[in-house]
Amino acid sequence: MRERFASGFDPFVIPFVIGMAFVLGYCLIAMIRVICQLPKADRKRFLLSLITPKYIWMNLRDIFLNCLIHVKLWKRNKVLGYMHSSIAFGWFMLIVLGHLEVMLFVPERIHLFYYPIFFNYFVAETEQTLQGALLMFLMDFFLLMVLSGILIAIIKRFASRIVGMRRTTRLSALDRVGLYSLWAIFPLRLLAESFTAHISGGSFMTIPANWLFRQFLGNDLNALPTWWAYSIALCIFMCVLPFTRYMHIPAEMLLIPMRNAGIKIRHPRKGFALLEVYSCPGCGVCIDACPMSVRKTNCKDATVYLNRQLRRGNERRIAEISDKCLLCGKCSAVCQVGVQGPELRVAQRERRKFALTPSYTGMDVQPLTAAVAGKGGVLYFAGCMTQLTPSIRRATASLLDKAGVRWHLMDPDGGLCCGRPLMMAGRSEQARELIAKNLEIIRASGCDTLLLSCPICYKVFKEEYPLEGVRVVHHSVFFQELIAAGKLSVTHEDGLRLVWHDPCELGRGCGIYEQPRQALATAGEIVEAGMHHAESICCGGSLGSLTLSYEQRQPMTQNALDNLTVADPDQIVTGCPLCLATFVRMADRPVRDLAEVLDEHC
Amino acid sequence: MVNRQPIIAVIGAGIAGLEAASQLAALGYKPVLIEKAPVVGGHVAEWNRLFPDMTPAEDVLQPLLAGTAKVRTLLNTEISAINRLKDEYNLILSDGSSLLCQAVLFATGFHLFDASKKEEYGYGIYDRVITNRDLEQWFNSRQDARIDKPRAVGFVHCVGSRDLKAGNPQCSKVCCITAIKQAIEMKEEFPDAEIYCFYMDLRLFGKKYEDFYIRAQRDYGIHFIRGRISEVGEAIDNRVVVKAEDTLSGKPVKVTLDLLVLMAGIVCNPDAQQYAREIGVAVDEDGFLKSRNNLAAITDSSRPGVFFAGACTGAKTVPETLAEARSAALAIHNYFNSRG
Repeated sequence: MRERFASGFDPFVIPFVIGMAFVLGYCLIAMIRVICQLPKADRKRFLLSLITPKYIWMNLRDIFLNCLIHVKLWKRNKVLGYMHSSIAFGWFMLIVLGHLEVMLFVPERIHLFYYPIFFNYFVAETEQTLQGALLMFLMDFFLLMVLSGILIAIIKRFASRIVGMRRTTRLSALDRVGLYSLWAIFPLRLLAESFTAHISGGSFMTIPANWLFRQFLGNDLNALPTWWAYSIALCIFMCVLPFTRYMHIPAEMLLIPMRNAGIKIRHPRKGFALLEVYSCPGCGVCIDACPMSVRKTNCKDATVYLNRQLRRGNERRIAEISDKCLLCGKCSAVCQVGVQGPELRVAQRERRKFALTPSYTGMDVQPLTAAVAGKGGVLYFAGCMTQLTPSIRRATASLLDKAGVRWHLMDPDGGLCCGRPLMMAGRSEQARELIAKNLEIIRASGCDTLLLSCPICYKVFKEEYPLEGVRVVHHSVFFQELIAAGKLSVTHEDGLRLVWHDPCELGRGCGIYEQPRQALATAGEIVEAGMHHAESICCGGSLGSLTLSYEQRQPMTQNALDNLTVADPDQIVTGCPLCLATFVRMADRPVRDLAEVLDEHC
Repeated sequence: MVNRQPIIAVIGAGIAGLEAASQLAALGYKPVLIEKAPVVGGHVAEWNRLFPDMTPAEDVLQPLLAGTAKVRTLLNTEISAINRLKDEYNLILSDGSSLLCQAVLFATGFHLFDASKKEEYGYGIYDRVITNRDLEQWFNSRQDARIDKPRAVGFVHCVGSRDLKAGNPQCSKVCCITAIKQAIEMKEEFPDAEIYCFYMDLRLFGKKYEDFYIRAQRDYGIHFIRGRISEVGEAIDNRVVVKAEDTLSGKPVKVTLDLLVLMAGIVCNPDAQQYAREIGVAVDEDGFLKSRNNLAAITDSSRPGVFFAGACTGAKTVPETLAEARSAALAIHNYFNSRG
């Protein structure tokens, strides 16, 4: 191996150098900006995590698995997984091997950062070495890998259904420039390396191509223009990268360590929120996942478009998309990067100025002094939705009595709101006032368990109430435990087919999937919906949406019902009074709460 | 005329079907009444007295029964299928027989909205919550454990009417006046009881309705509260606690009642929708059958030989239904005459 040019330079590298310098400079400044925008405590926490061995390992592992191998995507869709990991990992290996070649053969050129990229142009193979042949083989191998990924990408763009996506994102003009330049890079690299393969050496792809081209093209004439084209394609890609969805590549590498450090969205547009927006790869998986996409017009309200509008600063659309969302969290559950669609939207809602800001501090509360004091005392908060579905409250009360639980109803006469609807509307300050009032009542009761039959309440009690020493539990979990402990004996009804609907707030929101199923399995035979667990479809009745009308929600409810009834169950069972009330209106079979089903079989 | 005496299938032997059948028979046709229930008379037969003159329901039914005494009436009979032939319709009945007819008259009437769908009102959950039909049956039978010398009674208007979320955006038309009628009857029955009516609008359009409303307030002291009920709870003694907003005074109201009567609204008979689909007759957005013209041809369907009478096209009062039944009979008569 020897160098062909004493200067180690050719003007065709200039576009690449410009592009590289631009993108590195841009990303560096953006990174510093995001870190500076974090609140002080968060910043400290993040920087500390970067030097903690446990986090370093975690970060490296996650970056490798997610950014290069795309493990999450493999689990979801093998074709898309292969496409992404072949491009990302293949490209990564091309860069690494390029550096290795430079280090092995021309170590004095390692400081020229274009050298590893255009190595084959600058060197000539004088003798066949085993080392060289192996590296050449590997280079061709990974290039082939990337090219196969690019081929799938091209097919996907024109026929997304072949790779298992019903809908994909509509690209912006710059995204198209980025996409086409990305597609061009690797075929151009293959051509360029093939044209010079009789000088620089090559392997199983480049040498036959070189031989083939020599027959009718004349390699030497084409070599330099093709290297120019390769360099220009790289330059275009890197220059548009910060303004396209490909910004997710560098952004995700910062997002992963920040998320590992436990940073949350504190400001709707700055810091972590900004980073999440830029980490969105724009793949459009959230479009198919979004329950609103049943209506074609709502496809434009998926998280991918929220991120795009946030980048463009289109305030009208940002407000529209943020307010419309049901906050069911399914986009986050399916997102490969883990962009928190609902959290981003709630943060946008918090920006709104309200003409009226009611205060709840003056409300009278009647503390339930020592109503259920001591060990085993259960305070049951039915919540407003359960007030509207009295049979749930009745069944829960009956089950508690049957199990011999010492309990007290916290809101017999309709209590205070748990605060979650206000939180969802972006009015967390008002919610805090209600939380303080409710806390007073709960503390005074002396209970050691707070029981909820509404997952909307459950989530806020669990996450936002400082209730150390009090166990906050959803009735599905509580009843499952009572059954397991033998305090409730449920008779199994053979042939009764039940499907469990995972409410958004209970499943994706709090991670409770198995206990309700276990409890339900004691009463009948469980069948699963088409999509279930984390992929369960929102009933469409969510409090999350501030602007969807009843008519607009109806097709979403119908879609969720169609999904629930694929196995033709006798009854639809859920653990959320709001899902229940929503489904009952349109279901063709009984819809019941878990407590009702258990109480009937107890 | 090819067929001297055309056969006309009249689906439903409520007041619309009975009146139409008796008129058709008088015009020399052969109507056949097909009734799912074991008795004729439909909803009116279940009612005790009718607004606005407190006429016993019996008095409305008697002449109709007399007029149809000679008409062939198939009780306990459902229609398994309807086929449309060239100029005729073939009805397959639940007893296995088939009926070939030259015209079909839908007198399928309405269904009362299932009040248990509005779970927040507690029908089927709380003991002291009943519907307008339950109350009317009590007037007839005087047997209902839920009605036990009530001292406070509430009437909830528009249960399943004008309610998009219940799937019925339309007005049921007759419940306002029925609620006032029943409120007066309850006050007469239990003079010491306080009676409340929770309404969103009072639509008292018919003859004497307004007088009835004024009497309810002036002579019977019935309280009218404008506001929908938000929720109903149960007190420890099984009485029902009703929360509502009095939108005229802008204040929340909470009353404890011994009896809550839900004025269940009117929805289309689902059987009628099924038959209509089978022979390609249009169903309107509100679920009721669609007339060819809502002003000039309310009894005509979109198909020749298929006619409507009564509440199958929307909520109707008794006089409207009877008038429409006669009109439908005449429309059928004209239909056969024009075919020559």
